[in-house]
Amino acid sequence: MSKFDIEKVERLAGLKLKDDERERIKRDIDEIINYFDILKEVDTDGIDPLVYTKWTRLTLRNDEVHTGLTLEEIKKNRKLFGNNFFRVRRIIGE
Amino acid sequence: MMDITKLTAYETVKRIKSGEIGVKETLLSYLKKIEEREDLIKTFILIDRDRAIKKAEELDQLEHKEGLLFGLPVAIKDNINVYGYEATAGSKILKGYVSLYDASVVESIKRENGIILGKTNCDEFAMGSSTENSAFFPTRNPVNLEYVPGGSSGGSAACVAAEEVAIAIGSDTGGSIREPAAFCGVVGLKPTYGRVSRYGLIAFASSLDVIGPLSKDVRDAALMLNVIAGFDAHDETTVDIKVDDYLDILEGNIKGKKIGVIKEVMDFEVQKELKDALESSIQKLKGEGCEILEISIPYLKYALPSYYIIAPSEASSNLARFDGVRYGYESDGAYLREFYENTRTEGFGDEVKRRILIGTFALSEGYFEDYYLKASKVRRIIEMDFENAFEQVDALILPTTATTAFKLNEKKSPLEMYMTDIFTIPVNLAGLPAISVPAGTDKAGLPVGVQLVGKWFEEALLLRIAHHIEE
Amino acid sequence: MYKPTIGLEIHLQLMTESKIFCSCSTEFAAKPNTHICPVCIGLPGALPVLNEKVIEYGVMLGIALNCTINEVSSFYRKNYFYPDLPKGYQITQYAIPLAKDGFLEIVTENQRKMIRIEKAHIEEDSGKSIHTGDITESEYSFIDFNRSGVPLMEIVTYPDIESPDEAYEFLNLLRSIARYLGVSTGDMEKGALRCDVNISVSKDEVMGTKVEIKNLNSFRSVKRALEYEIKRQTKLIEEGRTVVKETRHFDEKDGTTKAMRTKEELNDYRYFPEPDLPPLIISGDFIEEIGQRIPELPNQKMRRFIEDYSLSIDYARSIAYVPSFSKYFESIIAFTGKPREVANFIMVNISNYLNETGKDIEEVPFGKEEFKELLDLIDSKIISLNIAKNVLDDSIRSGKSPSEIVREKGLSQVTDEDTLRSMIVEVLKENEMQVRQYLAGKTKVIGFLVGAVMKKSGGKANPDLVNKILLKELETLRQ
Ligand SMILES: [Mg+2]
Ligand SMILES: [Zn+2]
Repeated sequence: MSKFDIEKVERLAGLKLKDDERERIKRDIDEIINYFDILKEVDTDGIDPLVYTKWTRLTLRNDEVHTGLTLEEIKKNRKLFGNNFFRVRRIIGE
Repeated sequence: MMDITKLTAYETVKRIKSGEIGVKETLLSYLKKIEEREDLIKTFILIDRDRAIKKAEELDQLEHKEGLLFGLPVAIKDNINVYGYEATAGSKILKGYVSLYDASVVESIKRENGIILGKTNCDEFAMGSSTENSAFFPTRNPVNLEYVPGGSSGGSAACVAAEEVAIAIGSDTGGSIREPAAFCGVVGLKPTYGRVSRYGLIAFASSLDVIGPLSKDVRDAALMLNVIAGFDAHDETTVDIKVDDYLDILEGNIKGKKIGVIKEVMDFEVQKELKDALESSIQKLKGEGCEILEISIPYLKYALPSYYIIAPSEASSNLARFDGVRYGYESDGAYLREFYENTRTEGFGDEVKRRILIGTFALSEGYFEDYYLKASKVRRIIEMDFENAFEQVDALILPTTATTAFKLNEKKSPLEMYMTDIFTIPVNLAGLPAISVPAGTDKAGLPVGVQLVGKWFEEALLLRIAHHIEE
Repeated sequence: MYKPTIGLEIHLQLMTESKIFCSCSTEFAAKPNTHICPVCIGLPGALPVLNEKVIEYGVMLGIALNCTINEVSSFYRKNYFYPDLPKGYQITQYAIPLAKDGFLEIVTENQRKMIRIEKAHIEEDSGKSIHTGDITESEYSFIDFNRSGVPLMEIVTYPDIESPDEAYEFLNLLRSIARYLGVSTGDMEKGALRCDVNISVSKDEVMGTKVEIKNLNSFRSVKRALEYEIKRQTKLIEEGRTVVKETRHFDEKDGTTKAMRTKEELNDYRYFPEPDLPPLIISGDFIEEIGQRIPELPNQKMRRFIEDYSLSIDYARSIAYVPSFSKYFESIIAFTGKPREVANFIMVNISNYLNETGKDIEEVPFGKEEFKELLDLIDSKIISLNIAKNVLDDSIRSGKSPSEIVREKGLSQVTDEDTLRSMIVEVLKENEMQVRQYLAGKTKVIGFLVGAVMKKSGGKANPDLVNKILLKELETLRQ
């Protein structure tokens, strides 16, 4: 039994594969995930995970307002509806 | 008559500034070259002749020829935003998306009066090592059209190699600048993480992505780094550390510098010509008075699995914004969930879906500790390995890749493809600067690259050493 | 006895000019999608940059809530799909919040009670989805991203709250603190304060099943929803049925809570460190400096008003919790003294005036000079307390000074003994029965007679004198 429950992961990822596609992709991913097992050889006790290099420092922005995008610009990518709303399909269903 | 497209970027700018050649003249030579070769190689996703020509004409009118890139055409990888141009990142899901802002590097290039010539092809969302994962078409290696140019910045590497442009911008998450540079026989520089702003780079893996140049020689890489390096208030991960004049330091000697050769590299199978090229580069460095030391990166082989957990994890989150609501491809569905799933499943290619799924899995409840967290700890160990190494040496030298370019459609499983990046990935995990420089060819005539890795934020020395070993 | 256990999760909008990670305006009720930029609508390649004011306000609020401020805190991504969440993840603090382990002491019905705060962290708000018609039936929803990226502080309490009144008072105090600090308006109707509640009901020591209630649009809704939910859960338990662990919606119209009809979603947010934002490091000096800027807070003020001025809890709270009220109150009593009288005038007459006119207290044209004048008129027995109230009402509305009004309307007290005596004689004639009762030993009726005299004088008679003369006259009648 593979620990990779592809249908559950698809749902979290906002994807829905076709059956043949799913089979193929799952086979590849199972192989890759198995390969990850070699990490178990590494003793990581007491090691801090690395996300940020030691050089990075957060700098803070002044609380100032600047003009952002215009409606004209936004419309280059999407039509707006009503009083300039983005529109999406109804939220609930199934 | 002189063929302008043979010139390096540095020489081109110099001659334009001296009045020897015109900006439009330069641009037209490149456009002509593109016309001749582009059909076969297919490096560009977008070329805007009119806008480029208009800009060239404007620059030709100027009395004062100012700017480090004055009049120089530059190609930009398509995962970087240029205002008013489509930015697809090689993906169907971004087809039709028009950038509403300039990436910080693009702003810098424009400020220095470079001309944005077009957007180059790449693996979808920079996920790949051959540019075959582009949703639109594969790019071919100009050296031999049957071969891939490498990836993901394959378009940028190929257009420089094909002399369609003197210099191009790429991005490197696990080797995406250096590997195609090696495959195409050009120079590819991956700066230190935090040295160049990522603002406007369509994120693949935020903690690994770095923007850098692909160029004909090391001097051109230094020139472009002068333009794009430095702290940027739009990117919290850029670091406010002094930026050197990289052109200025290039010529100095490297006598007495300690260069490390990584012992563990030889645990991997490396193509003979690449070993030979590495050896001759080492000899060159000795000739320049460098001291060669063998050093160890004990956890080198764990870099690949660590990377292939961390990068997809971040990608799974970075690519969640592509939901069809605000821009890009939109499918349909009876209700929202179906709309999302249709849009994303139709919009992303296989490799991207694979990585989104792997990353989603690696972050999910019950697996986070064993995958994402474990990989991030291993990443720390690898970084510490490099830190130890750099206590002994000033730079490291190793092959950029284990083989030269492979053929298009040469069947490879995803995992096999991932192995292509074994020598470039560790550098990204540690955030170090590295450069790939051409070092001859194999018997098939395919380029060979050798890679130098420098200390954090010490691109100056890295470029100087690279300058000494380039042919 | 069934005991409710309640915990609150409050989202408070921090009152910055620009959003948390970009420079877009936070203006309320602007035209849809006019305050957006690459960052807050999640255009590809855009990156967040943290607003310093958010940290300043967050630290300030954290200190006011008696929290420990973490000198190093970090940002995470909370991943889920929703159309008003443009990046597919919310940037929020997770593993290490800005502030943790605090408490607020509330007072209800003379009881003091400590409500512990688990944590207070900063995060970004999402956009707003608008559904036309029934959420389940309309074909489309509409999205406005103006709110996307508005800074929030999420405050999570421990389940220390044991009644709807306590929940109400906690929110009331929290909002008041935010207003004193100037970090949030706390206006629920403008979305600047949102509250979700967790509630379980238990008999004995066994913990009940936790139910979450959302869609609470006012403090009153919070109270009503809790009252309903306590009844509902108690009834279920009494009937031997089980309480289902679920999220319920409060229905404003009928005051009930209803299970949300959404499909069972996978709740796996896949939190991981936000790689675009290095950890936030704040110095001890900064925390110290912010701490020194924190003014006296409403609960401290309330206590002081009760202890030093002997105000009732209700009056003390009502004045102390509203910064403009307490500022007005304190500026006046600093000049006039007499806090109890002034509090009375404010809570009755001035409050009425504000309700009628919809004005703010800063606009009330009755300042310390006028108060002094009014109180002096009472002190020197020119007018009675009752007349004083009318004078105040008149003065606020007409703009005339209290003495002007007293003069013009002839409101000064009648202190002339002859005038008073003749009035009293009349009253005694008119109320023979009461006089007889008095003479028969029923001295209580004196109150009635005084009242009758006051009435005859139009309230202007000096009550002390009336008393004195009345007694004398009655004694004369006895002889
Ligand atoms: Mg929250
Ligand atoms: Zn914005």
